[in-house]
Amino acid sequence: MKHIKIHEEYCIGCRLCEINCLVKHSHTGKIIKAFKEESPRAFPRIRVEEEGCLSFALQCRHCEDAPCVENCMTGAMRRDKENATVLCDEEKCVGCWMCIMSCPCGVIKREKKTRRIASKCDLCGGVDEPVCVAHCPNEALTYE
Amino acid sequence: MSETLRTDYLLIGFSVSSWFAACALREEDSSGRILAVTEEDRVYSRPLLSYVLGNRSNGMTYFGDVVSENPAEVWWNCAVEKLDGPGKWVELADGRRVAFGKALVATGGVPVFPPIPGAEGGGVFTFTRVDDMERMAAYIDQHDVEDILVLGGGFIGLKTCEALIALNKRITLVELAPRLLINMMDQTGSRYLEKALLKEGVEVVLEDTVERFERKENELCSSVLKSGRSLPHRLAVVAIGVRPNISWLAGSGLQVNRGVLVNAHQETSCPGVFAAGDVAETMNMITGERSVVAVWPEAVAQGKVAGKNMAGKHKTYQGSLPLNAVEVGETAIVSAGLVNPPDNGTYVTIIREERDVYQKLVLKEDRIVGLIFVGDIEKAGIYVHLIRHRIPVDSFREKLLQPDFGIISLPLNFRKHMVEGAGIEV
Ligand SMILES: Cc1cc2nc3c(=O)[nH]c(=O)nc-3n(C[C@H](O)[C@H](O)[C@H](O)COP(=O)(O)OP(=O)(O)OC[C@H]3O[C@@H](n4cnc5c(N)ncnc54)[C@H](O)[C@@H]3O)c2cc1C
Ligand code: SF4
Ligand code: SF4
Ligand code: SF4
Repeated sequence: MKHIKIHEEYCIGCRLCEINCLVKHSHTGKIIKAFKEESPRAFPRIRVEEEGCLSFALQCRHCEDAPCVENCMTGAMRRDKENATVLCDEEKCVGCWMCIMSCPCGVIKREKKTRRIASKCDLCGGVDEPVCVAHCPNEALTYE
Repeated sequence: MSETLRTDYLLIGFSVSSWFAACALREEDSSGRILAVTEEDRVYSRPLLSYVLGNRSNGMTYFGDVVSENPAEVWWNCAVEKLDGPGKWVELADGRRVAFGKALVATGGVPVFPPIPGAEGGGVFTFTRVDDMERMAAYIDQHDVEDILVLGGGFIGLKTCEALIALNKRITLVELAPRLLINMMDQTGSRYLEKALLKEGVEVVLEDTVERFERKENELCSSVLKSGRSLPHRLAVVAIGVRPNISWLAGSGLQVNRGVLVNAHQETSCPGVFAAGDVAETMNMITGERSVVAVWPEAVAQGKVAGKNMAGKHKTYQGSLPLNAVEVGETAIVSAGLVNPPDNGTYVTIIREERDVYQKLVLKEDRIVGLIFVGDIEKAGIYVHLIRHRIPVDSFREKLLQPDFGIISLPLNFRKHMVEGAGIEV
């Protein structure tokens, strides 16, 4: 099972990961349309945190004993047994926010679709290289 | 007397805490018999009920893998009437006896229902069980209910409002206290919540209660409040609280107070008999006092600890933390721990308030002990984590509640430890 590693010493705070994650999760998948035309605008599942010249990009850690999974009262949030990814099943999620209260990294967002759901990093749906990693210019995110 | 059956592990009540206990038991003991007996005819997620009522779910009522992956053998429609703790047996409603090696009392809570004149005869509901939900939904349909009274501004009352808003009903919420969520919200937070409710068409009546219900041709038609005000409604939901379901434990030999008293291993005063979830009275991790904290995450944690200890492992429960979340309209609200500290000089509060956002932290010495987040709740989990793990915040105190607060604000060691899980490095 691969994980996204965060290397804070290489992060330059350019936020290309945020931009590309947003585009990846937009309707059109096109950068200009995603930012200029889509409403509501998609949002990134990754957050660049900055303090002085220190910065790093943080997304769901796909925790082993994930508290968000344990405390989900529908079972929407679950850990995929095969690839160990923690994913939210939008069909089952009701937006009760128990997961938000439980995530120690604060990386779950509220999203409004036909109904409210919890939204977080889905590892880009299981691609070979997640887009945040692919677009990082300085290997501050690696997938290994 | 009929024959006595035997099981290694007996789970009394089959809901979330029992299921987590069953899974923990199976992890430790691959062959012991795990028998669960429950009064109801199915297993379901109680917090999910309000969403099902409000058509805000896909209709499913159970949670997770509880149906597909259940290590316990379950006897449905099978209430336990009597427990003999020292003798290690129970008697079921049908007269059968079951002897056990270890048992878990996980019978949850029952709604508080004060005697209100006129409540008998239909139309007045409590809302904690799946059949309450089904009867309520049917009643709404059959009686073309448009106006509804919700009595009680606690979490269940608010979740009920949330569901009924989605069904486009006209709702009046009546609460005796001067604010909503009396123990889990402060005055300011409550005002945000009241505003959000009002925006969704809910009228909030504070410092008042129902004196009697009135009926026309036997059908519920209105209520008269203590203030003298009369409110027309065809249906009423009484949601003024739940209390541990312990009446059946009379003569069991277990020590009870408000709930069943347990130690840090979830074991009762009677060795071999454990208790978990809404029925148990545990140590509150903030106040250090015994209390019943009837929420899902604690039922999960307690069930796991109970299961491990029943199987002979040594696992300790860290104490309970009251916490909950609700969203009305677009306004999300969460709270945890101690949110209305006594004014005795020991507590400090930090507040951030701007437009639709209200955030408050309560600190005692160098630890966070409570929080209220309204509007912006995304990072609530980070603060809850700081509360649960009693992390000293002195070194980053000035960053608390700043908009750019994050994992980066935490001391390096701690931050590494947090994001490291499963072979990840910072
Ligand atoms: C409407 C509603 C909304 C809620 N929303 C939230 C929320 O958003 N977040 C949150 O954290 N919590 C919420 N809760 C609380 C949460 O549901 C409980 O904390 C949780 O269900 C407790 O689980 P438990 O295993 O202790 O017991 P319960 O789920 O109460 O189950 C107890 C079981 O025991 C059975 N039983 C009782 N007596 C007997 C007997 N004598 N013999 C055999 N079986 C018996 C019952 O039939 C039941 O199946 C909500 C509760 C309600 C009612
Ligand atoms: S959402 Fe949070 S708790 Fe859940 S797996 Fe990701 S980092 Fe862990
Ligand atoms: S918001 Fe959705 S994923 Fe999160 S706990 Fe509730 S149901 Fe589960
Ligand atoms: S892996 Fe994909 S979904 Fe997750 S943060 Fe990176 S880009 Fe976003």
